[in-house]
Amino acid sequence: MELFTGLSFSVLCIQILVGLSKATILFIVASGLTLILGVLRIPNLAHGSLYMIGAFTTYSIATAFSQSSLGFWIALLLAPLIVALIGLIMEQGLFRFLYNRDHLMMLLFTFSFTLVFGDLVKLLWGSDYRSLAVPEIFQGSYSLLGMPFPRYNLFLLLLGPVFAAGLWFLTNRTILGKISRAAAVDREMVGAVGINVNRIYAAVFVLGCYLAGVGGALVAPTQNISQGMDHSIIIEIFLIVIIGGLGNVWGALLGAVIFGLTDAIGILVAPQFGIIFPYLAVITVLIFRPKGLLKSIW
Amino acid sequence: MISGVFGKKSLPLVVLFLVGLIFLPYAAPRFYIYLASVILVTGLLATSLNLVLGYGGLYQFHHAVFYGIGAYTTALMLTKTSLPTWVAFASAPVAAAFFGLLIGLICARLSSLHFGMLQISLGSLIWAIVYRWYDFTGGDDGIHGIPVPEAMSATTSSYYFILAITTLCLLLMFIIIKSPFGRILQALRDNPERCEAIGVNITRHRIIAMVIAALFAGAAGSLFVILEGSVFPELLSWTLSLEILIMCLLGGWFTFFGPMLGACLIISMRTFAGNYTEYWTLILGLMMMLTIFFLPKGVFGFINQLFSSKAPDLPLEESSHVAD
Amino acid sequence: MLQIRSLRKSFDGFLAVKEANLSVNPGEVVAVIGPNGAGKTTLFNLVSGQIRPDAGSIRFKGEDICGLRPHQLCRKGMSRSFQIVKIFSRMSVFENVQTAVISRMKKTSNLFIPAHNIAVKETEAILEAMGLIDKRDSICGLLSHGDQKVLEMAISLGSDPQLLILDEPTAGMSGEETARAIDLMKHLSRQRGLTILFCEHDVELVFSFADRIMVMQQGSTITQGTPDQVRNDPQVKKAYLGSHD
Repeated sequence: MELFTGLSFSVLCIQILVGLSKATILFIVASGLTLILGVLRIPNLAHGSLYMIGAFTTYSIATAFSQSSLGFWIALLLAPLIVALIGLIMEQGLFRFLYNRDHLMMLLFTFSFTLVFGDLVKLLWGSDYRSLAVPEIFQGSYSLLGMPFPRYNLFLLLLGPVFAAGLWFLTNRTILGKISRAAAVDREMVGAVGINVNRIYAAVFVLGCYLAGVGGALVAPTQNISQGMDHSIIIEIFLIVIIGGLGNVWGALLGAVIFGLTDAIGILVAPQFGIIFPYLAVITVLIFRPKGLLKSIW
Repeated sequence: MISGVFGKKSLPLVVLFLVGLIFLPYAAPRFYIYLASVILVTGLLATSLNLVLGYGGLYQFHHAVFYGIGAYTTALMLTKTSLPTWVAFASAPVAAAFFGLLIGLICARLSSLHFGMLQISLGSLIWAIVYRWYDFTGGDDGIHGIPVPEAMSATTSSYYFILAITTLCLLLMFIIIKSPFGRILQALRDNPERCEAIGVNITRHRIIAMVIAALFAGAAGSLFVILEGSVFPELLSWTLSLEILIMCLLGGWFTFFGPMLGACLIISMRTFAGNYTEYWTLILGLMMMLTIFFLPKGVFGFINQLFSSKAPDLPLEESSHVAD
Repeated sequence: MLQIRSLRKSFDGFLAVKEANLSVNPGEVVAVIGPNGAGKTTLFNLVSGQIRPDAGSIRFKGEDICGLRPHQLCRKGMSRSFQIVKIFSRMSVFENVQTAVISRMKKTSNLFIPAHNIAVKETEAILEAMGLIDKRDSICGLLSHGDQKVLEMAISLGSDPQLLILDEPTAGMSGEETARAIDLMKHLSRQRGLTILFCEHDVELVFSFADRIMVMQQGSTITQGTPDQVRNDPQVKKAYLGSHD
């Protein structure tokens, strides 16, 4: 196999970096899902739809500001906020009435959102796919080990740790994070000491949706923005969240890295069956650690 | 018991309904016969899901995999081998049951959401393989023009064949639910810990239930081949799994005929709404939200509740689970 | 019938059971008492296989049963009820008990005969004995708490055990219900010759009824003996009874 030649070593390295930059987006989206799962106990299937909405909104905003070189950056700022707003409406309007329902009901309820959002996106943007150019400063590639490595991917690679650090700070160093972790363990107790649990829940839900929006915005320049991107991402991030340990943000990071790497390397090893490698990795993990790699708060 | 809709009192109703279905081809145009076949096949699939979902309390989140495996088994046997046709059809449930055993062995020691998630990942793996293995499964194109014998594939004869097999399967499932096995299955749903304390090997029982449910889903899959003459990877997709979950929910998952009713409602509405709008899933989504908000026990469950005030309002999931 | 030696179990570093010792002879009624958090329920969960011990031994009818699952222990003749009611809440009272009988008859894998007319007489006899026959067809999720606790016992009887383990059989009951539950337990012990191991909050009740008593505190056995022995044990007086007066 070519893998053993010198050239292929650099191909492998580049592929690993590409995998890690893909993992960044997966991590950002999955961390939102895992926060909602951990604190609110909602297996939110609509998370993928919010990600898709984030991508389409980014496209629209960036196109509206296309004469400015800052178009994408404005979109990166605004689109996640719009998604977060949708999340706020969902939570305040519907979800908060259903917290005592069992998981299956919640799952189906969020699935009905994916159906509605899917059609709404079709209604607003049509069924054609869209594509968005990479922002100007990140166009082109760097040369790494004699291979081209897209600048935008480097940007993503650098962004990953920033978000990880931000989430760490939020969950460990802020009052909101501490209360929400306590609320995840024992809702009644937190309510009993006079904290407004509903407000915490709303905040976490909105934050989770915001992260889905960020993921959608970041992914927009790297692939076709299309109907159906909600379905493919939701299954990937669900698997990431479960191998990481439900509700564990670090688990989401670990899961995203595993998923991104096996995906990237799988494509290199067996192009036709590249798609099955991440699934194989997930199953291997789950057979040995059925509740995920890191501590699940469930 | 839970399935109040099928008591001794409603037996005549069921027979009447069956007779109606037998005479349907004499009264209805071809399109409606086809539609009835689709409903029967999908309803059989949804009922097989409900065996483990509503009666077993298992989070069977990726049931469509077994349907797809059944369909692909029949399709591959018919196109790639020269074995007799009946072998192709008989091996569909067997293959599905085998995969049910495999996935059951891996998943059954987990409970609730973890069980469902692991099943999703295993199911997605099978889907991915089918989706990519062009040489064997036809990849994302699927397999078309499957040589189903003429005697089976004409609209009316396929309808009768499907009706017969579906009736047989439903009858078998009904017997199973009423059997000691079915009783223990429902006990497992209501309280796994108590079940273990009265001497039930719950892991083993769950695996057997999954195998049985997969078997019937596989049978439904082979009926799909008769109906459409083709197979494609969407048959194993998670979206379909969720759709049949909705059918169970909509019809009511504590009732035996609920899933069939749910299939009937959703497929008819999709067909007829499809004539007027391309935004059918939007309607379905809104409908589901309303159902979950206002009729959490489904249509049949709601009717049952109207007629018998004693049915307690209990969630599908118990608060306690056996620790692993 | 049951011998427990130096049993130990910890959860995340918290020693729930430190050093539990207990022996139950055939035909006896043995009570475990101790303040809240003494480890009584953990001890029972260890005995009936819900959780595995970290160290120590449990012998049932002379056989080491450490690590066996609850369903295997049930097959060996041990049956238990739970402190927090665990019943099949969507089924009728009759079906609850019948399910246990079906399981005992090893018919759980039978797929093709109707369940509803299996072991009807036996089930009804249990319901009769437990005074639940009037509520035969009620959905048990809707029963009163007292009835549900009695149903717990009835389900346990469906397994036809030699050793019956009852975790706080009168918890949450009114005075009248408690009297009824105690009468039932006396009946089971005297008429059926069942060996009973139970734990209980109400110390008076325990002393009036149990043949022998084991006292637990902070996960350890302080003493085990007849009610008189226990009553006069200085350690018990100091540690447990003393705090009540």
